[in-house]
Amino acid sequence: MVAREIGIRQSSKIPAIELESVSKCFRLYHDANYSLKEKVINFRKRGYDLFWALKGVDLTIFQGETLGIIGPNGSGKSTLLRMMTRIMSPNEGQIRTHGTIAALLELGAGFHPDLTGRENIYLNASILGFKRREIEGIIDEIVAFSELGPFIENQVKNYSSGMYVRLGFSIAINLNPDILLIDEVLAVGDESFQGKCLDRIARMQQEGKTIVLVTHDSDIAASVCDRVLWLEKGEEKMIGDPIEVTELYHEAMRMRPEGSEFGTRDIVINRVDILNSKGEAETEFETGEPLVLRINYSADDPVEDPVFGFGFYNQMGFMVYGTNTRLRGLDIAKVDGQGKMDFKISALPMLDGRYYISVAAHTRDGMVNYHWLDKLYYFDMHSPGKEEGFLTMECDIDLAPQ
Amino acid sequence: MKEKLKRLFDYRELLFNLIHKEVKVKYKNSFLGFVWSLITPLMMLVVFYVAFGIIFKLRAMGMQFYAFFLMSGILPWNFMATSLLLSVGSVVNSSDLVKKVYFPREVLPLSHLGSSSFHFILQELMLIVFLLAFRVPLTPWIFMVPVVMLLEVTFIAGLSMFLSALNVFYRDVQHFTEIIIMAWFWMTPVIYPIALIRDNFPAWAQRIYMLNPMAHIILLWQRITYNSPHNGTEAALLSVPGLLGTIALSITLLVLGYVTFTRLEGRFAEFI
Repeated sequence: MVAREIGIRQSSKIPAIELESVSKCFRLYHDANYSLKEKVINFRKRGYDLFWALKGVDLTIFQGETLGIIGPNGSGKSTLLRMMTRIMSPNEGQIRTHGTIAALLELGAGFHPDLTGRENIYLNASILGFKRREIEGIIDEIVAFSELGPFIENQVKNYSSGMYVRLGFSIAINLNPDILLIDEVLAVGDESFQGKCLDRIARMQQEGKTIVLVTHDSDIAASVCDRVLWLEKGEEKMIGDPIEVTELYHEAMRMRPEGSEFGTRDIVINRVDILNSKGEAETEFETGEPLVLRINYSADDPVEDPVFGFGFYNQMGFMVYGTNTRLRGLDIAKVDGQGKMDFKISALPMLDGRYYISVAAHTRDGMVNYHWLDKLYYFDMHSPGKEEGFLTMECDIDLAPQ
Repeated sequence: MKEKLKRLFDYRELLFNLIHKEVKVKYKNSFLGFVWSLITPLMMLVVFYVAFGIIFKLRAMGMQFYAFFLMSGILPWNFMATSLLLSVGSVVNSSDLVKKVYFPREVLPLSHLGSSSFHFILQELMLIVFLLAFRVPLTPWIFMVPVVMLLEVTFIAGLSMFLSALNVFYRDVQHFTEIIIMAWFWMTPVIYPIALIRDNFPAWAQRIYMLNPMAHIILLWQRITYNSPHNGTEAALLSVPGLLGTIALSITLLVLGYVTFTRLEGRFAEFI
C-alpha cells in the first residue's frame, strides 16, 4: 500500500458521530439452536455464553475528521463500525449520527449477478439509501471511476473479482456521503486503483467529510488519519496522534509471540527456511549479506495458476520489501504434491532491527488465499554502524569536490 | 412506529428497485422473457380444459366453463402462496445484505409481494382477455378487482412480514409454511365449487369452514371475475359480517406483522 502524505486539515468541533458508553454483547451458542425442537428440548437450559464485543466505548468523531481504528482480531473494530451504520444496535449506551452515511463493509454487497453493472449501480445505491435522482447526476462519474468501460453493460456474474471490487468502491465513494465508513476494503484491488482510492479519500477529506477507517495496515492508519483509536478486547486502549498510537500498537503486537496464519489450505506452506550464503538456517544477518528464503509447500490436489510471494516487515508493521511470482511475470501452470521454491536475495539492504517475514500462496487475482503465514518468521539485521535510518545505499563522500 | 414508517417511506425507491430487480431477474436469460407471465396462465387454461372438460367429462355435469372457474380461484391462490413462500425466506436469503448494509429490512419481504403482485396483475388481465375471447360475459362486479386485490395484498403483507421475521430465529417456519399452505389449499374453495361445502356439510361445519379468511378472498375473486352459474348467486356463503371480519383480520395482521417485524429486526444481523 502506498503511503501518502495528506495535508493537515481543519477538523471542526461539530460532532458527526457520538458514542456514549456503548456496549455490545453477543450470545455465543454452543450449538446453533436454530430449530424449534431444540428450543423446546433445551427449554430451561441456557445454551449460550455471553461475549462482550464492546465494553463502554465513549467516542466523539468530529465533522471533517478521519479516524482510524486499529486493533487485533476480535477486538471489536468491525462491531463498532456496524453499530455506526445501524446494522446492529448496542445493548447499552447510545449512538447518534449526523449526516448521510455510506458504509463500505463489503464491496459489492447486494450486487445481483444477473443484472448488468449499470443496473447494479442503481440497485446498490438505493440499498445505501440514495435516490435515483441523485444517482443520475453522478452515474457517468461512477462508471468512469470504475474503469469498467463497455463492461458496465455486462452482467455482473461475468465480472472478474477485481472488476467487482472496483464497481463497489466507485459507487460508495462517488455517492459523496457526509460520513464514509470503510472496513479494510482498501486492501483489495491493484496498486493503481488503490492509489486512486486514496486520492479520492484525500479529496473527501479536503471537502470536510468525515471518514472512519478500520484497518490492519498501520501504514495507512498513520498517513491518512487525523486520529487513531486502538481497540483491545472491546475497550479503548488508546486514542490520539496516529504515529504515536500505531507505534505503541506495534510495540505491543511485537510482544505477542504468535503470528497468524489463514487460508483455504489448498496449498499448504509446510515450512519456511531462512538460509545464509552457505545454505544453513540463520536468523542473524549483516547488512549486505545474501539471504535465501525457501518455501516448502504441498498440495493434495492439483492447484492451477497459483502465485507465491513474500514480504519483509519492520517492527512497526510497514512492509519494507515484497514481491511475488506474478509481479515477476513468472507463471506457475500447476502445483501438485510436494515442492519447494527459493527467493534469492543477493544483498540485504536493511540496517539494524528485527524483520518479520510473511509468506503466502494465493490465486492470481489475490482474492483467495491458499495459505498465508503472516509474520510467523523473523530475522535480525546488524550493520557496522556507519549509517542511520532503514536502508543502506551507495554513498561516497567527497570532502573536496572539484 | 411513526418514525419507522417514515423511514420506510424514505426508502421507497429501494423497494421499487428491488421489485424491479425481482421481476427483471425472473425472466433474464430466457428467450421469451416476460411473455412467460402470459403463457403460464394460458397453458394452465388449456390443461384444465383438457383434464376436467375432456377427460373427466365435468362438462357433461353442466360445468361448461370449469376451466374459467378454476382459473378465477387458482390465480389469486397462487398469488398468495408464491408471495408467502418467497417472502418467508427473504430475510434469511439476503443475509449478505442484512449483515453488511443498513436499510429497513421490511423491504425484503415486501419486494417479493410486489413482484408477485406484478405477475398476478398480468395474469388477471390475461384471464379477462380469455373471458372476452370465449364470449363469456363479464360480471358487473369486475370493477371491484383493485379493491379485492388491495384486501389480499393487505392480508399477505402482514403475514409475510410476521413469518419472515420469525424465520430468522426459527428456520422451521419456512418448512411449516410450505406444509400449511398445502393443507390450506384444500380447506379453501379453489378447485371445488363452494356449493360442495354448502350441500354436504351441516351449518356449524360451514361456519367453521368460513372462518378461513382465504375462503372469503377466493370467493370474492370468483364472484367478481367469473361467477360460475353453477354456484348460483346465493351460494357463495359470503356474508357482510364475514367480509367485514376478513377485512378487520387483514388489517390487524398487517399492523401486527409490521410491529413484530420492526421489533425483531434489530437482532437480525446477529442471528443470521
